Amino acid sequence: MTSGFRVAALLLGASVSGLGSSAAQESGLTVGAPAPAVVVNDLDGRPVDLGAYLGKKPLFLEFWATWCEQCEELLPELRAAQSRYGDKVEFFGINVTVNQTPERVRQYLETRQPGFRVLYDDQGVSIRAYDVPATSYVVIVDGSGKVAYTGIGGAQNIEAVLRKVISN
Amino acid sequence: MRFSHPLLALTGLLLLGTPSAAAQTGSGTIRAILEGGPDVGQRAPDFSLPWANRDGVGPIESPYQLASDRGKTVVVAFYPRDFTKGCTAQMRTFAEQYDSLFGPDVVLVAISTDSVQTHGRFAASLGLPFRLLSDPEQRVSKQYASKHPDGYNRRTIYVIGPDGRVRYRNLRFNPLDPKDYADLRSAVRSTTRRS
Repeated sequence: MTSGFRVAALLLGASVSGLGSSAAQESGLTVGAPAPAVVVNDLDGRPVDLGAYLGKKPLFLEFWATWCEQCEELLPELRAAQSRYGDKVEFFGINVTVNQTPERVRQYLETRQPGFRVLYDDQGVSIRAYDVPATSYVVIVDGSGKVAYTGIGGAQNIEAVLRKVISN
Repeated sequence: MRFSHPLLALTGLLLLGTPSAAAQTGSGTIRAILEGGPDVGQRAPDFSLPWANRDGVGPIESPYQLASDRGKTVVVAFYPRDFTKGCTAQMRTFAEQYDSLFGPDVVLVAISTDSVQTHGRFAASLGLPFRLLSDPEQRVSKQYASKHPDGYNRRTIYVIGPDGRVRYRNLRFNPLDPKDYADLRSAVRSTTRRS
């Protein structure tokens, strides 16, 4: 890569990155990139090091909120995926914490029982590291620690992605 | 996904005129800063825009004018679109935490390219206790470095002091990042304390 082209590419990437983050749905991680190793607290305030899981087995991460309608729509697909791949994949639900309390999250978990291990990112560490554009954002990390899938919304074919990730 | 239209994005950015992009290197990292718009300490450009709130569309002959709130702390939030996921999260949070984030003496207005009719429906659906301003031609968003070349606003926040000068700005506000809300809360409190 020539130096001129490298600078142009840097400007271009940086510009689009900046704009993309503002335009919510355009941000997010690039497939194939290494998944960021971050430490996020659980609901009891205990730190959970996601880096300890990376490269050992596939990870499912959903950034969610109790008020997120798309997250609710995704629940049946999530439960089906957990039922099928729960022993091969680590499932985490990272609560974005904006506009909700741990108590509100606990109440939701009691009634809806999404099944994933809940993290409560009140410092926004994972939000920034994973460039999360909106709730219902799903990141699936393969067994080598690289991002295999990102998606958003209530209609995502999680099972199909996990099947492919596990078979590779 | 992010680089799906890189040439369009770069072309649009170069055509913007006011904002410009700069790359800096240091400690092995590269970061970009989008410049433009009134910086902290500079006078906030005045503007006048039609508005709607949860009760309906405001009178056409009485647009919101920034200068009319001189003497108060004003928060101006630019955002991409009504009824989208990120914007719904942001506006819902502003509404439900209004007292904590802003308080009774602060004026909050939010600006997108949506029509006042769409704004009225969006504000009513969330019960927003503040006005949504319509800037379809992005005349104001361009002045505030918040114009995305694809025709919607970037997500930015300005806190304007009673003297009409910018006290704080965030040109990459993330509606899901608690730190960005905490920084905004601190900026508003600092501004209201000084006045």
